[in-house]
Amino acid sequence: MMPKKNEPTPGYHGCYLRVDLSGNTSQRISLSESMLREYLGGSGLGVALLLAEETAIADPLSAEAAIAFVFSPLVGSPLTTSAKFAVVSKSPLTGRINDSLASSGFALAGKRTGHDALVLVGRATAPSILVIDDEQMRLEPAGELWGMTNSEAQRRVRERLGLDFQVATIGPAGERLVRFATISHDGRHAGRGGSGAVLGAKNIKAIAVRGSQQCGWADPTGLAQFAKQLSEKTFGPATAKYRELGTASNLLVFNRLNVLPTRNFQQGTFSGANRLSPEQLGTARERTRTSCAACTIGCEHIYSLGTKNGKKSDGVRLEYENLFALGPLCEVDDPDVVLKSSQRCDELGIDTISAGGTIAFAMECAERGYLDAPWLRFGEGPALLRALEEIGTGTGIGPQLAQGSRRLALELGHDTIDFAPQVKGLELPGYDPRGLQTMALGFAVGPRGADHNRSGAYEVDFSEAVDRRNVGPEAAALAIETEDRAALMDSLILCKFLRGVFADFFSEAAEMLQLVTGWEVSADELRTTAQRIVTAKKRFNILAGWTPAEDTLPKRMLHQPIADDPQAKLSPEQLQKLVTAYNIARGWSPEGWLPEP
Amino acid sequence: MLVTVELFGIPRMRAGVAKTTAEGACLGEVLDSLARQFPALAEDCIDGHCLRPGYTVNLRGERFVTDPKTPIADGDTLLLLTLDAGG
Ligand code: SF4
Repeated sequence: MMPKKNEPTPGYHGCYLRVDLSGNTSQRISLSESMLREYLGGSGLGVALLLAEETAIADPLSAEAAIAFVFSPLVGSPLTTSAKFAVVSKSPLTGRINDSLASSGFALAGKRTGHDALVLVGRATAPSILVIDDEQMRLEPAGELWGMTNSEAQRRVRERLGLDFQVATIGPAGERLVRFATISHDGRHAGRGGSGAVLGAKNIKAIAVRGSQQCGWADPTGLAQFAKQLSEKTFGPATAKYRELGTASNLLVFNRLNVLPTRNFQQGTFSGANRLSPEQLGTARERTRTSCAACTIGCEHIYSLGTKNGKKSDGVRLEYENLFALGPLCEVDDPDVVLKSSQRCDELGIDTISAGGTIAFAMECAERGYLDAPWLRFGEGPALLRALEEIGTGTGIGPQLAQGSRRLALELGHDTIDFAPQVKGLELPGYDPRGLQTMALGFAVGPRGADHNRSGAYEVDFSEAVDRRNVGPEAAALAIETEDRAALMDSLILCKFLRGVFADFFSEAAEMLQLVTGWEVSADELRTTAQRIVTAKKRFNILAGWTPAEDTLPKRMLHQPIADDPQAKLSPEQLQKLVTAYNIARGWSPEGWLPEP
Repeated sequence: MLVTVELFGIPRMRAGVAKTTAEGACLGEVLDSLARQFPALAEDCIDGHCLRPGYTVNLRGERFVTDPKTPIADGDTLLLLTLDAGG
């Protein structure tokens, strides 16, 4: 018998479901109001739950490791872009905290099961589907689903269980424990850090959720009004870029500023950038636009791949990050190859950034004779596609690449680690840190490694506040501001592409949280909450073995300027000053240790 | 002062060109000159001598500037782009 829940705070169910896959059992566990108020939901609550599970000291691919699917107080509300969930675990790629977000029906149906989070521990005895149907949990054999691509597996699970189930899956890469495997739902992906491998290690191919339990709102009328005004703002200029071109429009800007990572960060400009730009792609092929559930922005631009066997093939969602990683980074300028590669990553269930980063690194290693794969050449589209296939299917050099660039470099030796494009093991996204030096700081100190979603420090580089190619310690406070805002957005959870519509995000977030929960929340309280969440991630990492030496960048970026922009250079001493200023501004020791509680 | 202006993203879509020239001794005058040439830019990106929220200018591919009084030299290159570089 499940215990009866106490009257929860509006916006919450006040409990999470802890599923022990080894024992095929589940337990509903209460969440105190103080814990919810301190960590909110999404990334914040997920980190707090993992700390309680002592996952920091576990092997992320072991049965003991926990993985949390966390909803938020705003899920199910009329607030635009709020249908999101966080997947939080220890990363098999970095050995550090990993929080990835995805969207849509899984968040809505998952919360309707009557839980604020699902925490999975243990390991199913055989490949399985985890079904959570309202408050009931069961495991079903995955059967023929094991080995299927993401979209096929999701379709088949819904055929089997019913269309009112929402399904998240891993692809073949997650089954094979590729360290940058994703978890996928409805074309969106909890992409970074390898949460798909954590699920694969638990023998879980799919999680299917269905529920009927709604949360109430403290002030439904006020919330509806607030939501309407917020939606109206998303039709304005602050989100025009996302609506009309998508994030891929960064490509030509970054190329012009010499910060478009090309040939494994050997160059900052790419001669094929125009061919790949959305401005060009949009004229040459059909483009449609779609959105996550409950979103009024609609940033997803889908490009057609033409016809296959006389049938129109599915379109491919193109964003800046998959475009940069599978295009310039590997020096591939054929739009068809980049689109096909991106589609293949989605189907196999691998993170496009880590895939592109690892393959570009391997291309350079092969060119220098350190990796026995003479076919793997920069600029060779078929080589890129073959490498992706081998990663997903575990053939050829796939198992080596499936480890990510850091482990591959350590295996190959020859100081290849100096040009492996990673921080803490996570491959860098498409911002060359030598020409965007506040972002360099954000990458170096990022709890989940080099990342543009947990630190928006590039925004500082795109402002008058700093000289982006010669940033001083005064940038640390500005970088912290963007990191705190991201921590709050990822815990509430709201889409980052909404940030431009807020005049004062912390105040407006306090207002919406008050309308949802009834708590008298202030902007100051939410600033403290954001800092608490960032600190919790740091605490997790320290428990997992973090040392100050890992808050750095690859040697290539600290000893060589960007080839086509000699002024874009960053020294180890300069980066260290930034990191120290960051730590002190956070109230930590200059090296980054947390003060004694 | 004659300057070259390169347009990216939404400004390029609105103006319908990737590159143009404009006149002005300071950023505000250049923006005003651009808005006169391309009324669609005035609607979304430029408000008189100022940038509308969400847009920025980069000078010579180096630093970002938004103050309308920023001096501009003859022959300078300005990039007009969307402020949000998030991916
Ligand atoms: S803006 Fe894009 S990523 Fe964000 S919720 Fe909307 S469609 Fe999804």
